Amino acid sequence: MEVGRLPISAALKGKLVSAGYTSLSLLSSLSPSHLARDLNISENEALDILNHAPHDGRIDTSGGHHIISGAQTAWDMLHEEELLTRITTSSVDIDNILGGGISCREVTEIGGVPGIGKTQLGIQLAVNVQLPVHCGGLGGKAIYIDTEGSFMVERVLQIAEACWDDMLANNAISQNVHAGQVGMQPKDFLENILYFRVCSYTEQIALINYLDKFISEHRDVKIVVVDSITFHFRQDFEDMALRTRLLSGMALKLMKLAKKFCLAVVLLNQVTTKYAEGSFHLTLALGDSWSHACTNRIILYWNGNERYAYIDKSPSLRSASAPYAVTARGIRNNVSNCKRIKLM
Amino acid sequence: MASLKRLETEFPILDPDFQSFCALRGIFTVQDFLIRDLQSLVADAEQQPSSERFMQAINQVLYVIDGLHQPWLNGVDLMEDAQKNKHVLSTGCEGMDFLLRGGLRRGQVTELAGPSSSGKTQFCLLTASTVAYKHMGGVIYIDTGNSFSAKRIARFLNQISCPASEEMQPRVLQEVMNSILCHSVYDIFSMFDVLHCLESKLKYQVMCRGDNDERLIIIDSISSLITPILGSSGSQGRALMVSAMSLLKKLAHEYNLAVLVTNHTVGGDGGIPKPALGESWKTLPHVRLLLSRDCGSNTYQVSLLKHPSIASGKAAKFIIND
Repeated sequence: MEVGRLPISAALKGKLVSAGYTSLSLLSSLSPSHLARDLNISENEALDILNHAPHDGRIDTSGGHHIISGAQTAWDMLHEEELLTRITTSSVDIDNILGGGISCREVTEIGGVPGIGKTQLGIQLAVNVQLPVHCGGLGGKAIYIDTEGSFMVERVLQIAEACWDDMLANNAISQNVHAGQVGMQPKDFLENILYFRVCSYTEQIALINYLDKFISEHRDVKIVVVDSITFHFRQDFEDMALRTRLLSGMALKLMKLAKKFCLAVVLLNQVTTKYAEGSFHLTLALGDSWSHACTNRIILYWNGNERYAYIDKSPSLRSASAPYAVTARGIRNNVSNCKRIKLM
Repeated sequence: MASLKRLETEFPILDPDFQSFCALRGIFTVQDFLIRDLQSLVADAEQQPSSERFMQAINQVLYVIDGLHQPWLNGVDLMEDAQKNKHVLSTGCEGMDFLLRGGLRRGQVTELAGPSSSGKTQFCLLTASTVAYKHMGGVIYIDTGNSFSAKRIARFLNQISCPASEEMQPRVLQEVMNSILCHSVYDIFSMFDVLHCLESKLKYQVMCRGDNDERLIIIDSISSLITPILGSSGSQGRALMVSAMSLLKKLAHEYNLAVLVTNHTVGGDGGIPKPALGESWKTLPHVRLLLSRDCGSNTYQVSLLKHPSIASGKAAKFIIND
């Protein structure tokens, strides 16, 4: 029955069916007061139902170009993808395996053991997004959602100052200097990071629901970093089915945000052990049902004494790893101290 | 089920006299008409002064009801339809084509389940490229996770058309890529809207030209649309899942499309992953496949869980190149 497809409550659907309205075409030429009388509901509710019913009968008769509204052909998307700029991570090796950096319109999940540098990477991206486009950023603001309390403002200032020094050094070499960018001080980087602290899962869900309205008012936000996305869902959740529903709903909303406002969404995740094939593996938290909620996944891991980033899931990038280091200046390339020749 | 009052505008023979005649016997809607005893109604009508008009009205309502169900088909009609219309579409992947005896069959809904990063999206993109290029058909790609990558499609098309690693001509590439349409949907109601629009578009094409261009619908992944609504109090989630699948099956059968949907997996007994969405989902797709990837390589394993005409349990390996 077609009225089952309308996004209204089950009680209203039941009333529609028992009054005889089982197909959407019957609703198309009805007035709200008539419907309200028939169903014995308020006129506002009737108006709501009629607004949800799609407008039938307007078949596209314009011959050649039969595109359903909202669709894009793969050819147009190819050109759009080529124009999309990416956010640098300040480590050239990681940027290379990512094809230039973290891309917009996609949800990227970064996971790793504690201490590997996830929060550092999150802070680095929140600073880098504010750089002008020719320096690898997007000239926009950042939203940082902190669920664990691991955001240290002093560290952000330190990373911002290092970024500022690098930018000055580069600008001294190149002749084109935008007057606006030179005027940026390290403290300005702090101003452009919008910080939210979340203390429970309900707050987290409420915030993500609110982000749609918030970002439509702050259109220059170009990245949303959530550190970490799974923290509040891991402890004390009795109803597992509810947890799955909430998480998948949250994942869809974040995807929609990324696509609608053309920004990058970066989710930082913890790891847990999983028992499979007779042994324990380290795997990202929240299990299989969450693992499909991101477009790209990067796993950070230790290899001996060095930190590595590995692309675990991506629709268009090859699986590759790259080393990186966490320095006082932020995330940088790994300068190996090893004197042995590396085999390529 | 319209009320008789509403039918009056279309069929003036169902005038207020007839309506009050029916109302006296407790018949207000077409549904009541079907439930009540027709023979006693006819007998009553014959005793009325305007019995001829009433008989005509009763026949009119019965005629309307008859026009609403699908036409009866016999085995010969079905066989003809299958041979003429329901061909297989090659997926571009030899191992998969071998397992499915040719590829995805038009008119059937195929489910591809697999754990994360097991190659489901890659397979969907490869199939989309192959169908667009080899079968010259339109592809509708419904993407729920922003994972449609036009660059990857272009790479696949280059591989398929010129294996000697030359570049494809831009004009040909443009034509093929223009036949792949991508929608981003983030909740199940938007997906219904998209399918609804698609249905009207296909109806219009068949009306004008007798055949439609589209060959394949891919939904990647349908499980991320269904999981937020499944399992809450009340069975609305399951009802939406079933009605989504029945709409897809209807589109597949009437317009000779192949439908490919992807599903994720959850932990099952003994740690072996099993497809998500539960027991009631298992009966819905026609063909069910389980995909897995050998760790860190390009080799994929697929096994057949359910198929209308091939024994389940068969497996195959294939490689998707970068």
